[in-house]
Amino acid sequence: MDAYKLMKELRVNYEQEAHYLPKESGLRLIESTTEDDSRISAKCRDAKVEDLWSLTSFFGYSTQTFVLAVNLLDRFLAMIRIQPKHLSCVSVSCLHMAAKVTEEECNLAPPVELIRIGQCRFTASDLCRMEKIVAEKLNFKSNAITALTFLDMYHQIALSHCTDRKEILSLEKLEAQLKACLCRISFSKAKPSVLALSLLRQEIHAVQSEDMLEIASHIQRHLKITDVELRLWSERVARCLSDYSSPECSKPNHRKLQWIVSRRTAQNLHSLRTVPELPTIPEGRWDESESEDSCEDLMSSGEESLSSSLGSDAEGPYFPLHLRRQHLHA
Amino acid sequence: MSAISASEKVDGFTRKSMRKAQKQRKSQGSSQYRTQCAPVELSPLPQLKDAPSTEQQELFTQKLQQCCMLFDFMDSVTDLKSKEIKRATLNELVDYVSTNRGVLVETTYPEITTMICTNIFRTLPPSDNPDFDPEEDEPTLEASWPHVQLVYEFLLRFLENPDFQPSIAKRHIDQKFVLQLLELFDSEDPRERDFLKTILHRIYGKFLGLRAFIRKQINNIFLRFIYETEHFNGVAELLEILGSIINGFALPLKAEHKQFLMKVLIPLHTAKALALFHAQLAYCVVQFLEKDPTLTEPVIRGLLKFWPKTCSQKEVMFLGEIEEILDVIEPTQFKKIQEPLFKQISKCVANPHFQVAERALYFWNNEYILSLIEENIDKVLPIMFGSLYRISKEHWNPTIVALVYNVLKTLMEMNCTLFDELTSSYKADRQREKKKEQERDELWKKLDELRLSSAQNNSHGLPSVQNNNNNNNNNNNSNNNDTQDKSAEAAAVTSENKDPDDSVAAIESSPCAK
Repeated sequence: MDAYKLMKELRVNYEQEAHYLPKESGLRLIESTTEDDSRISAKCRDAKVEDLWSLTSFFGYSTQTFVLAVNLLDRFLAMIRIQPKHLSCVSVSCLHMAAKVTEEECNLAPPVELIRIGQCRFTASDLCRMEKIVAEKLNFKSNAITALTFLDMYHQIALSHCTDRKEILSLEKLEAQLKACLCRISFSKAKPSVLALSLLRQEIHAVQSEDMLEIASHIQRHLKITDVELRLWSERVARCLSDYSSPECSKPNHRKLQWIVSRRTAQNLHSLRTVPELPTIPEGRWDESESEDSCEDLMSSGEESLSSSLGSDAEGPYFPLHLRRQHLHA
Repeated sequence: MSAISASEKVDGFTRKSMRKAQKQRKSQGSSQYRTQCAPVELSPLPQLKDAPSTEQQELFTQKLQQCCMLFDFMDSVTDLKSKEIKRATLNELVDYVSTNRGVLVETTYPEITTMICTNIFRTLPPSDNPDFDPEEDEPTLEASWPHVQLVYEFLLRFLENPDFQPSIAKRHIDQKFVLQLLELFDSEDPRERDFLKTILHRIYGKFLGLRAFIRKQINNIFLRFIYETEHFNGVAELLEILGSIINGFALPLKAEHKQFLMKVLIPLHTAKALALFHAQLAYCVVQFLEKDPTLTEPVIRGLLKFWPKTCSQKEVMFLGEIEEILDVIEPTQFKKIQEPLFKQISKCVANPHFQVAERALYFWNNEYILSLIEENIDKVLPIMFGSLYRISKEHWNPTIVALVYNVLKTLMEMNCTLFDELTSSYKADRQREKKKEQERDELWKKLDELRLSSAQNNSHGLPSVQNNNNNNNNNNNSNNNDTQDKSAEAAAVTSENKDPDDSVAAIESSPCAK
């Protein structure tokens, strides 16, 4: 928790972060691709990352797993051209790899379960092979320096400087916002340190803390991040977050969700929608007396209130006044 | 029925397959007993189509009268020739009424109705099988169906004849007639009920003066069914007729009809044999709501009140009905009932019976329901979230888990921020609970230790606690001072001095806290 040590570590990470950046030219290529069957487009990658987010959430994986998975995915995609039909396999392999290094053994979902829940079309052995390929290409050993690394450190630094304000900067909220940003490929072009700092500043503005702002500036100077760069990414982050936190709902994309139900339930699903065989009998108008044939004949005095109200046409509180009068005059 | 040997029973109860095998032979019943006099032979009359037009009227009447003779079909050998004559005559009469115009003169009406009354109005025989289960068992069929069927057919053609005059017929087709007709709906024979359904439908349509009476009688039948007997075979057919009536209601709905909905149709959902008529019942309910959407709130509250608690099959039916209602619901009405409704749905998705959970989760495959949820996501998501998240980890059925993923993903796409907030607060709650559990476990461990040490103290008089702790593979090595302070408490806690060996065994066998 030593502030000095943290700053030093920060510096070290900053110097190394370039190793873990996806190739910018590769990312640009993806961004510029239009919807096509032969190449990955930005939309396709973004959709896949959202799927990864759902899976992370569902299996209870940590943010670290997700961020690492996205990092691996982007680095791989920027390096190697793959066909869109393989994107699913690549992304889930990245997730599994990330989970293996981050999560505890007992919390790790087995590959078969991942594939089943994610409604993927490939097998567990495909997954295994893909993992090896990705690991080899990226020379992946155990971890990577991501925006989350910096975010954690910034948060610690901020806390260590103002211990009485522990509640204000929520790491969880920052992590959630980071996840939201990572769903757009453009943010993968940012340097993790800068992205994290932008997020931090955004949140500091939201809570309106002067002290924190100072700390953020201090970090910026320490890492020698330029104002221009910071401003650029801060603007983009602000836009992204305003979309994320808007109360408006986006229409869920029902594209590929498979709803598998058991045979019995499937059989019963549409059993209620029977077409009626008997033609409709329209009710008579008010002046057509329906009680012509004296239903009073069989009505004895000892009947319950239900039957008496059922025979009457013009009584009851629901009966509109003007029609009631009309009936009495008829 | 032959006696069933002990070997064919399981746990003292007759195996179902055995019972079914016994009933495989189609059972027939009839209460058409012949009058006591000697068998009368029917003499065949000339064909109507061959008779000159001046004599047709007379011949028609004679044939009708001839058909008033009843035969015993339980006896399959007697009067075969006469039965055949009657059958052929009835067939002829059916044709005659269907194809010719100008046949129905005023004088024929009483003859016709007499013939019909004689043939079909009878007291239904008591069921062969006192434990008749409509869902499982084969029904008892009407033995004299060869004749009765034609009489029904004739009645139907009579009513549908273009020359049919309700004003003349109403002298004969009166309340007494209708009452007897309604009683026949309790017949076990589904073919008979099917005819009765169509016939009563036509009568309701043509006889305006009988409508209120018919509705009242149907009410009585239903109420008796719900609250007194729980037995009536014709509920589905009557509901089908009601469906076509409800469909034709004029707006605004009369108070009488609304009362019918709330006091009869909704309680009808509590019947044990709901499966037999649920489709028709749900149709009626939905028709009502399409006529008057303001009824939505009381209807849904009524269904929630009667929500099945132990019968999963019924729960699945209720869920189906709710989906049908939601398909037609107006958004303003939805807002009124969303909270109690989704509280029930959230219980259903967590139900260990996989069919109930499946059916409830499948709601999220319905586009319109999704759009309703979307508009009200801030109210709905917090209600659903907890149980969805929990069963994603805990449910035994993998299909359910996969469906939960779909639902969570859909909800997440609707509103990420809310979803994230709920996730973190859910996690925080779980952490707190876990912490409490741990603390509780620690406390119990400590108490156990103390009890053991106080037992040791009492039996061996040893003040030191260290030995005992080592024996117990316990990590909480409290120092002597602490233990001695607490031993007074422990002595108060333990009610008896246990044998130290027992205590050790007890501690070692208790599961470690997670």
